[in-house]
Amino acid sequence: MDEIEVSLTGSGRGPRSEVLAVGGGNSCETVRSLLPRGLLNSCPAGVASCPASSCPFQSPRWPRLTLLESVLLLGPRPTPSAMEFSELIRTGGAQAKLLRGPEVPPLHGTLCVTGHHLLLSPGPQATSDLWLLLLRSVDSIEKRVSGDSGTITLRCKDLRVLQLDIEGVEATRDIARSIEALSSLESVITSFPFFYRPKGLRLGDAWHFHPPERYYKRVARETNAWRLSEVNEDFSLCPSYPRAVIVPRAVDDDALACCARFRQGGRFPVLSYHHAPSGTVLLRSSQPLTGPQKRRCAEDEELLWAVLAGARPGARGFILDTRSAQAAKQARMTGGGTEARAAYPGWKRLHRPLERGRPLQESFVRLVEACGYLAQSTDCWRSRLEACHWLGHVKEALSTACLAAQAVEREGACVLVHGAEGTDSTLLVTSLAQLILDPSSRTVAGFQELVEREWIQAGHPFQLRCAHSAFSHARPKHEAPTFLLFLDCVWQLGHQFPLSLEFGEGLLLALFEHAYASPFGTFLCSSEKERCLCEVRTRTHSLWSGLNQPKEQRKLRNPLYVPSPLAIWPSVEPQSLRLWQGLFLRWTRPNLQR
Amino acid sequence: MELIGTSVRLFLDFREKLASLDSALILDVPLGVISRIEKMGGATSRGENSYGLDITCKDMRNLRFALKQEGHSRRDMFEILTRYAFPLAHSLPIFAFLNEEKFNVDGWMVYNPVEEYRRQGLPNHHWRITFINKCYELCDTYPALLVVPYRASDDDLRRVATFRSRNRIPVLSWIHPENKTVIVRCSQPLVGMSGKRNKDDEKYLDVIRETNRQISKLTIYDARPNVNAVANKATGGGYESDDAYHNAELFFLDIHNIHVMRESLKKVKDIVYPNVEESHWLSSLESTHWLEHIKLVLTGAIQVADKVSSGKSSVLVHCSDGWDRTAQLTSLAMLMLDSYYRSIEGFEILVQKEWISFGHKFASRIGHGDKNHADADRSPIFLQFIDCVWQMSKQFPTAFEFNERFLITILDHLYSCRFGTFLYNCESVREKQKVTERTVSLWSLINSNKDKFKNPFYTKEINRVLYPVASMRHLELWVNYYIRWNPRIKQQQPNPVEQRYVELLALRDEYIQRLEELQLASSAKLSDPSPSPSSPSQMMPHVHTHF
Repeated sequence: MDEIEVSLTGSGRGPRSEVLAVGGGNSCETVRSLLPRGLLNSCPAGVASCPASSCPFQSPRWPRLTLLESVLLLGPRPTPSAMEFSELIRTGGAQAKLLRGPEVPPLHGTLCVTGHHLLLSPGPQATSDLWLLLLRSVDSIEKRVSGDSGTITLRCKDLRVLQLDIEGVEATRDIARSIEALSSLESVITSFPFFYRPKGLRLGDAWHFHPPERYYKRVARETNAWRLSEVNEDFSLCPSYPRAVIVPRAVDDDALACCARFRQGGRFPVLSYHHAPSGTVLLRSSQPLTGPQKRRCAEDEELLWAVLAGARPGARGFILDTRSAQAAKQARMTGGGTEARAAYPGWKRLHRPLERGRPLQESFVRLVEACGYLAQSTDCWRSRLEACHWLGHVKEALSTACLAAQAVEREGACVLVHGAEGTDSTLLVTSLAQLILDPSSRTVAGFQELVEREWIQAGHPFQLRCAHSAFSHARPKHEAPTFLLFLDCVWQLGHQFPLSLEFGEGLLLALFEHAYASPFGTFLCSSEKERCLCEVRTRTHSLWSGLNQPKEQRKLRNPLYVPSPLAIWPSVEPQSLRLWQGLFLRWTRPNLQR
Repeated sequence: MELIGTSVRLFLDFREKLASLDSALILDVPLGVISRIEKMGGATSRGENSYGLDITCKDMRNLRFALKQEGHSRRDMFEILTRYAFPLAHSLPIFAFLNEEKFNVDGWMVYNPVEEYRRQGLPNHHWRITFINKCYELCDTYPALLVVPYRASDDDLRRVATFRSRNRIPVLSWIHPENKTVIVRCSQPLVGMSGKRNKDDEKYLDVIRETNRQISKLTIYDARPNVNAVANKATGGGYESDDAYHNAELFFLDIHNIHVMRESLKKVKDIVYPNVEESHWLSSLESTHWLEHIKLVLTGAIQVADKVSSGKSSVLVHCSDGWDRTAQLTSLAMLMLDSYYRSIEGFEILVQKEWISFGHKFASRIGHGDKNHADADRSPIFLQFIDCVWQMSKQFPTAFEFNERFLITILDHLYSCRFGTFLYNCESVREKQKVTERTVSLWSLINSNKDKFKNPFYTKEINRVLYPVASMRHLELWVNYYIRWNPRIKQQQPNPVEQRYVELLALRDEYIQRLEELQLASSAKLSDPSPSPSSPSQMMPHVHTHF
């Protein structure tokens, strides 16, 4: 591979020299035309002025073009892994036509595969811009060859379907194989966020934009009954919790260690939300490890007792188990279980089964099928929509969240939510209950903070759950659209209360897209511990800093928003819940593609 | 509980009984909305709520009043209600003629056919305005003023009229401002079983085709399903055959007749009132086929609009009589093609023109003041049109100047009989009854308080053709209309969203004014004698709102 140094206008630190690795067969001009405008400053190797004969891009040893991300995106010097990418890139490039759905004109140009992107360059003469697709967002790929051309259909994680008509059978095969290999790379540290260096953002800037600690400190200060504990500083107690957690002041770190051993995955009960008007709290945890012997844990019992004592004298508590009573009982056989009534005086257990895991993923897949992305007819559309039961899941999630919120607000009770692992439906319920109760979580900043605190820091395994979207042919292992279900429920709230959310559909769509494939590091990994190991915070940009640029902000806001201190109680009647057309039908209706 | 029956509306005041509740529950029913009143239970009925009155309404609700058996309160109430709800059966005037409301705007002035045709650039070289129907002699269900091809003489028109059902000859509805293709409406040709032909009609259609030289064929959209069109031959009707009309292409749009639509809406009512079918909501909704009919109407209108706009071909639309499905298709296609009709005033003109003046039989379809609730002529054709408009406004949230309240208000007064706008079947009868002199127009109510009906996200766009997606997946049930009476859907009064709309509109006006002031100030400062590009008239503020 040829390498040339190119000086690029930097990201606030002045011009930097970057290595440009480029295959031959392309003139400097072609490469220049591929670069985003204004990024290329000068080229020591003479990109700006070298004569065609000595142009380093025209080396015959390499197929037409392989361009590393570093060039496009002002990244650091490519890591050794860049070389691995180049081994996976089996193609130089090909002439192709891109079809992007109904009523969008097709795009013609040179198709190239790079380490993280598929790019289509319309050529130097064309007026349209370079078209880029993050390879990570490809969910499934299908290729067909006929005659001397081929067709590749890419189904993306954001549900978009793209069709590429490519000249040359070999080129089609090569491009398909390259995309297949590169889109399914599992390594986190070679993923695109580690190379993405957008203009105007500085690394490490907004990672602390929404530190959960700030919220916890505020609660600790206001209530006097809670404290911020650093018992999990090295993630030894609970690998899926953040370093700092908030627990009852009356419980010391040693007791927490005992609790952690009594809860699956070490997820002992922690505060999720403090409802100031009633002085009560929402907690979350995982299931207790009672097992067939119905084990008990004194420290765990004391912790929950302390919660009630700290709230107000005589406060009651509800344990909201997101499994059916039957399933909770059965979990004892595998070491889990649920809180015995006698062991937790003052606490009452309620069961509200929520679907999770594979059934949820299958519901999502069936819904997307019914939505016509695989060219199904519209016959019996509503019966099919009903049969895939997605809106049923929305209804269950919202009504369980309402139940939790009601207990907190109307009954003045404390609520502990858990299912089995406490990383999926538990978070769904606690985060939705906060949106219902807490006006500050309905602002743009508050909602981002909520997602950061209740999903990302709380250890929802994004890396596993969002590895594939609805099109993957692979048998789902850990995939489940729990986060999408959450976003859908939020959309329903916004639909029923058009004035109550400061953000519009745009923010929810952005979160959906970024959760599945993103140039930002926010949704990488499955826990805070993993993010620390990968140095995500120091080596990638935060989505929040990307979204909070004024230009983006404007697109995300709801112009109807009027702040209101009241709780918003959604209706879960069948006619009140609707299909989120803006997401599920987005790519089948031209005017939904904003 | 206090039940107040006035000659106009029925008020039901629960305030006394439910004093413990925060909000007073007042039921307010314009008597015009009532389609049927029945007594339930008899003197011997036992059990709570088994004796009283059952009132069926035209706007998707039923009311049931339980009364005490003592006295004869029910008999009196039944008689009073029947008398005022069905004035026609009692030789009483419809309420609109008694209504003495005053508004500062006269809604009857909104539609002036000459002005509307002039706005479309008519008359021109190919089309003329004719007063042949001045006394409604050519066609008693058409308006007095018609636009016809320049090359067709009045005698030609008379001869064509003999071959078209109820003399509803092909006349122009809309002309494309650039390519000059037209939308023409009419009724079915009187072909009959024997396959009659009429040279004048054939020539007339050819003349229409020739007004636009870009394409060699005239496109005819027959709104009916093919089989229905064939069946109509038995009653003397039919459709344009290939043999007789060489230069025309005929397509059937498969839209069903008024009876099918009525039954479909009845099924919708069954699943939403009084209780919403909970367990299989979506599949029961599907089984009503209501949205399927909406889809067919929209699809038909899209085809008409696309043919005119992209296909550059003139289009002739008819069904059987040309006053139900035809009105739906032409008005929806015009709404897609012409952004003017998407403004409040433009929409009023559209309704006034394509529906009211061209003889959609409002009196028969709605049954104003008529007690015959089972009349087979009743059908929700106009409601279906408004539903289609709502579907479009959902898909294009910035394209319409009016909001949902505007559409619901129109529908409410379609039944209320408070205004003269929707009374009677055609212009000739309306003229005889002096409707414009003796009643108030609905547009007076709306135009005197326009802000209430405005969409703050409206962005005026000229010449943009709207093509809604008519796939079933993209059509939704209009819950805010069809299920608004469901007690579980709490309507907050005043509606916070509407209030917010008004606030935003005020804010926008304020900004526009400030911008104009600043522009004036800056252009004054420049004091350049030559016309500067920053003069306010040339830089009209165009406020875009994000949705």
